[in-house]
Amino acid sequence: MEFLGPILFLLLVVVLVGIALNTTVLGRGMAMPLRQMLKKPSTSQYPEQPRPVTPRFHGRHQLNRYDDGLEKCIGCELCAWACPADAIYVQGANNTLEARWSPGERYAEDYQINYSRCILCGLCIEACPTRALTMTHDYEFSSDTRRGLVYTKDMLLAPAPEGAPDTPHRDKDVRERGHNYYGGKAVSPPGLHGGDHLPATARTMSRASQVLPMAPESEADWGDAPGREED
Amino acid sequence: MGTLGPVTALSTRYDVDRAWDIDVYEDHGGYQNVRAALDSTPDDMIQMIKDSGLRGRGGAGFPTGLKWSFIAQDTGKPVYLVVNADESEPGTFKDRPLMERDPHSLVEGIIVSCLAIQSEMAYIYARGEFGLVSRRLRHAIEQAYERGYLGADVFGSGKRVDITLHRGAAAYICGEETALLDSLEGRRGQPRLRPPFPATHGLYGCPTTVNNVETVTAAGYIVGQGPEWFNQYGTEKSAGPKLMCISGEVKRPGNYEFALGTPVSEMIAAAGGMLDDRELKFFFPGGSSTPILTAEHADIPYTFEAMTEADSLLGTGALMVHSDKTSVVETVYRYVKFYEHESCGKCTPCREGGYWTAQVYERILDGRGRAEDLDLLADISNNIFGRSFCALGDALTSPVLSSLEHFRDEYEYLLRSAGRLPDHMQSVRTATANEYLERNDLATAGV
Amino acid sequence: MTDTVTLTIDGKEITVPKGTLLIRAAEQLGTIIPRFCDHPLLDPVGACRQCIVEVEGQRKPMTACTTEAADGWVVNTHLTSDVARTAQEGQLEFLLINHPLDCPMCDKGGECPLQDQAMAHGNHHSRFVDEKRKYDKPVAVSAQVLLDRERCVLCARCTRFSDQVSGDPFIELFERGALEQVAIYEDEPYESYFSGNVIQICPVGALTSTSYRFKARPFDLRSTPSVCDGCSAGCSQTVQARRGQVERQLARTNMAVNEMWNCDKGRFGYGHLTADTRLTSPLVRSDDDGEEPVAADWATALTRVRSILAPDGEVVPTAVLSGGRLPDEDAYVAGKFARTVLGTDDVDFRTRFAPASEGDALAALAGRDTATYDDVEQAGVVLTVGLDPEEEVPILYLRLRKAWRNTKARLVSVGASSGSLAELLWRRLPTDVGAEAAVLDDLARALDRDGDDADQSSPMVAEVADALGSVDRPVVLVGERAGDGALAAAGRLADALGGKVAWVPRRSNARGALDQGLAAGLLPGLRRHDDDTQRAEVAAAWGLDELPTRGRDLHEILTLAGKGKIKVLYLLGVDLVRDVADQRLVDKALRRATVITHDIVANATTAHADVVLPVTASQERAGTRTNWEGRRQQFRPGVAGPQLVQHDWEILVQVTGMLGHDLGFTDLDGIRADMAALAPIDTTPDWPAAADRSDTAAAADDGDDTLTADVYPLLLDNGVHQVNAPDLAATAHDPHLRLHPDDAAPLGVSDGDEVTVTGGKAELTLPVRVTPDQAAGTVFVPANSTAPDQVDNPRHLGDRVTVAAVASGSATADQPVEVNA
Repeated sequence: MEFLGPILFLLLVVVLVGIALNTTVLGRGMAMPLRQMLKKPSTSQYPEQPRPVTPRFHGRHQLNRYDDGLEKCIGCELCAWACPADAIYVQGANNTLEARWSPGERYAEDYQINYSRCILCGLCIEACPTRALTMTHDYEFSSDTRRGLVYTKDMLLAPAPEGAPDTPHRDKDVRERGHNYYGGKAVSPPGLHGGDHLPATARTMSRASQVLPMAPESEADWGDAPGREED
Repeated sequence: MGTLGPVTALSTRYDVDRAWDIDVYEDHGGYQNVRAALDSTPDDMIQMIKDSGLRGRGGAGFPTGLKWSFIAQDTGKPVYLVVNADESEPGTFKDRPLMERDPHSLVEGIIVSCLAIQSEMAYIYARGEFGLVSRRLRHAIEQAYERGYLGADVFGSGKRVDITLHRGAAAYICGEETALLDSLEGRRGQPRLRPPFPATHGLYGCPTTVNNVETVTAAGYIVGQGPEWFNQYGTEKSAGPKLMCISGEVKRPGNYEFALGTPVSEMIAAAGGMLDDRELKFFFPGGSSTPILTAEHADIPYTFEAMTEADSLLGTGALMVHSDKTSVVETVYRYVKFYEHESCGKCTPCREGGYWTAQVYERILDGRGRAEDLDLLADISNNIFGRSFCALGDALTSPVLSSLEHFRDEYEYLLRSAGRLPDHMQSVRTATANEYLERNDLATAGV
Repeated sequence: MTDTVTLTIDGKEITVPKGTLLIRAAEQLGTIIPRFCDHPLLDPVGACRQCIVEVEGQRKPMTACTTEAADGWVVNTHLTSDVARTAQEGQLEFLLINHPLDCPMCDKGGECPLQDQAMAHGNHHSRFVDEKRKYDKPVAVSAQVLLDRERCVLCARCTRFSDQVSGDPFIELFERGALEQVAIYEDEPYESYFSGNVIQICPVGALTSTSYRFKARPFDLRSTPSVCDGCSAGCSQTVQARRGQVERQLARTNMAVNEMWNCDKGRFGYGHLTADTRLTSPLVRSDDDGEEPVAADWATALTRVRSILAPDGEVVPTAVLSGGRLPDEDAYVAGKFARTVLGTDDVDFRTRFAPASEGDALAALAGRDTATYDDVEQAGVVLTVGLDPEEEVPILYLRLRKAWRNTKARLVSVGASSGSLAELLWRRLPTDVGAEAAVLDDLARALDRDGDDADQSSPMVAEVADALGSVDRPVVLVGERAGDGALAAAGRLADALGGKVAWVPRRSNARGALDQGLAAGLLPGLRRHDDDTQRAEVAAAWGLDELPTRGRDLHEILTLAGKGKIKVLYLLGVDLVRDVADQRLVDKALRRATVITHDIVANATTAHADVVLPVTASQERAGTRTNWEGRRQQFRPGVAGPQLVQHDWEILVQVTGMLGHDLGFTDLDGIRADMAALAPIDTTPDWPAAADRSDTAAAADDGDDTLTADVYPLLLDNGVHQVNAPDLAATAHDPHLRLHPDDAAPLGVSDGDEVTVTGGKAELTLPVRVTPDQAAGTVFVPANSTAPDQVDNPRHLGDRVTVAAVASGSATADQPVEVNA
């Protein structure tokens, strides 16, 4: 029975320590690391192993292109208008016969987002009528200079799809390609003569059906285009 | 050749050979009305017109005597009489035969009218396509000048009446009186803002009255033969004889002259009854801009007031008769296309509403109609009716709204059948177009 | 008969003048009825049907923009009436069915009445699933105006503007029904001086401007109210800038002046602000003469100015030529600078050789209550003297036209030509160039005689005199080109009639320069140099014992400079080479004298200058400008301007400092306070008496075959406003000569033929227009014109020229101007 003494003593110590851990402030504080020592660590191994973000994560912006390489952005400035932080600068310009950046008359000559202002709220994305502007999952774009946080068009523009030429395209090539933009609602517009506007006396008029065949559609979803970027 | 029937008031000389020549015309009692007019004062003449109960024959049916009494006299400006011979309402062909066969009766009517409204200058605005009309009228005017019936000294009375014949360029809108005046002045034929009304500010800003050919001709007879002669025909509120244009699916379509108040069924019977003894389904009582009526309205008397009571209009007296072989929707679509094409474009509802309405009809007939399209059509029409600048917009809505009211089931059938007509109907879109033309030849031969 | 009517709109009672349209009456109650075709300055048309309201007791709903309010009416707008509301929604739906949804592309997006009203009054969903009307995307109706017919709602504002307001209906509605469209005639582009207005009043994006195409959105434009410096009309305008650059200028509503309009020069003429030839730093010619001046810093330039003006500490004889563009403040500073620092009264704001009597006449004018735009509109009879309003002061032309159209005003022109005003004239009293005064005196005499002795004057003079006498307050407008004594004669005539006179100079602030005494003999605040008290007053205010002795005018200044008596010419934005009539005189003066010049854009004179100091343009500065009416209007800077550029007054203050003086102010407020101390005095000097013209009348008809040259620039010339504004310059009217039929007949020329004008050492060939508006014995030659390869300056033709037809075939089509020096 001699050996019972130390055992009882140890038990007493354990019980007392247990009581101390559960009842005293210090004890409860000590208990947390003790418990965690038994669990699997949850440390994120960033930046070696970045974790995936949620599908609708608001990351850096991207200016998208159509499959044929033309830019979706038409330089309308609606994103800049919607921006609550006044972080976006757009300068529109006129497509010409020789240099076409986007379908239609207008394209963005310059496009800048100032990420020292941007709050990544995504209102610009909602405002974009052509789905040109979307947000990527990229969030690694900090900089140690203010200048470095101003992203210019070349930084925001998605690379041309495989096999498609970079912009600008020649209007003639675009026409020959016959690609449908805006969900088939418009081809490269019939009368656009770039900077060289047709004089008004060359009057032509037509119903749409004489310009392009149009299947009856129940919904006129102007903004949706084929090959749209998924969020 | 035969006179029109059953009454013969304005059409007395239709069967007279070469009645368009002044000698023949005078042999048959011509230019006697002017002599009577020269003996009376302008006020007396206007009172005679008022007493006769003559209402405008161009479509609106406004009392002519009253209209003339509104003309601003003593403004120091000349007064103009403009004769609206731009007869282009679909289904209407009463003025053309009158001017082709008896042009002097119009010239005489103009002289009398000018004396009544103290005008020295009259214009005849003839529709551009009226080649024979123009030749006959020009000939008649020249002859009248040679005889001294026109010019500085009408019948030696010392009064002046001149007539200028102007040919339009074939636009339906130029039948609207202010658009006609604009066109006459050399502008785009678009209706003018009213007020001011032509009675005070008309042609070249001067007091003007614009009257239909039949009205002016009738006025000549009334002054010459007295109001009693005129209102022996017709009813109290719709007095006088009326030149009728009966067309469509009847055995003998053509010009007829009836006393107002004759029931439509009687008119159809006079035209030989329904073609192939088909069943009367619907008819336009007074041209394509009057709301359609159905077989159940066939017995109502053909008067201004009865037509208004039946929610339609007397219009120009162009009775277009259709049987159960004809699709209401297709018929209405044709007129909608006509009005869409003839809209002058000045005001939004007529320009855009016509464009839209035509497309909805095309969709329905093409099998792409949707259930909500019928309400949409009614809505579009209601947004045009009463909102457009002139009556052309209203005219567009008449067949649409009336057909929707009376034949909604037929529209619904087309929605269900994807645009296929019921089997018993013949499409007017394809084969029967020629048939219609043939009948029209028949119509002219029968006059 | 009362002049007002009382009606109820939406339950609120309102009393308005008779004839008020319902839409305006509702505006007074704060109810804005949606509208497209309605415009307050255009006749009602009732085309868009958007403004439908319900009037109780009326069979149909009515358009508020065409219906005059009537007593006792009960009107219900969309606020209270379902009929009105659904009708308005219906019309908007109609308008939108064929309107493309390309708002994101459209320049009007964000400031579009259709957008706004569709949001406010329209349905949110379209029921239109069919095919829209399609047209070619923008077609050019002129170099400045693009038309996108898909967007057009056919409200006819533009066609009505061109027909009713500007009177040059180059654009019209074509086709009909749904295909109705605005278009131009096959061979006539929309070459109106007022075409920009149709862009501004277009309620959709159908008419857009080439120069503003895709440049900006309303929200990123900074708008500044300003006053146009294109001419003396003094139009209110809005300068809209983005990132420090002017992107657009609009007419700003000012019903007293330009109403809601401006001219294309005022609207599109801002390219020079950013032109390559813009002066952005001081230029100094190195001491060894002959080379072009080169860029230098301000310290160098100002030091150089000091060494030129006061080589030995004493100021050398200097003359200040200020031009007519300096704002009031700068004009005042220039005057004070010349008289106190340079010690000279040799100042002149004119670039033309004025008759000696003009100073007195101008002084008499400045003290009077001169005519205003409203006076012109209400006058009933307006006499224009030596004035081509459309080319010189376009907005005045619009007002004259409005008077002609709305009040049937009788317009009479006295002078060698009246340009496009000719179409509106009631009577024309042709004179030789500069001989207007005689006719004006005749008119005054005809008034005196009261028609008893009519055989003395021509019947037409008597007729015009009768007309002038028949209205309460006729207006006489005298152009700056009017000859010796014309202004005084006009003033005497107006006084005799109880009417009003006005002097209509061309340059934007010539009237301000006059008020600030920028001519020899004149002093600020209507004071005269020859009045001892007034002169003393100015001297005291400026801290001088005595003002410099009375100076000389432009002609004498140049003569003396050519002789070396005046050592330095201090120019404030004056292009002597281009504008002064005597080439020999200018050459000599520029060669002999040292030239310091302030300017905005490099020109022929800056190339001759020893020091060129770059100054701000109107859009880049604040100031006050006085238009031809004498109306003073302040303006603010819309943009900052290039970094190294200064205001005229700033430079003058600095030069003063360099010369060891102090003008007593260092900012605009200081200048204005200084000016206030010399506020205009109450004085109405008499008009100079009529000259005895008995000998000159005989001399005028000397029977030789020369003609008098009638030289003045068209509105769009080679001037500063057309620099770097290619779209504007492209709409300049083709340079042409004008001849009276009687002069053209002997030459055998008719419209469009090439004619050579020879005079002095100059010769030039241009197509001719034969018009009875050009007085017989005169020929119009466009100064500073856009004729290509023009070497000879028409200003150098001299007074008398010979005119000869170019033998057919000798003139090559691609070189319309042949010049032999």
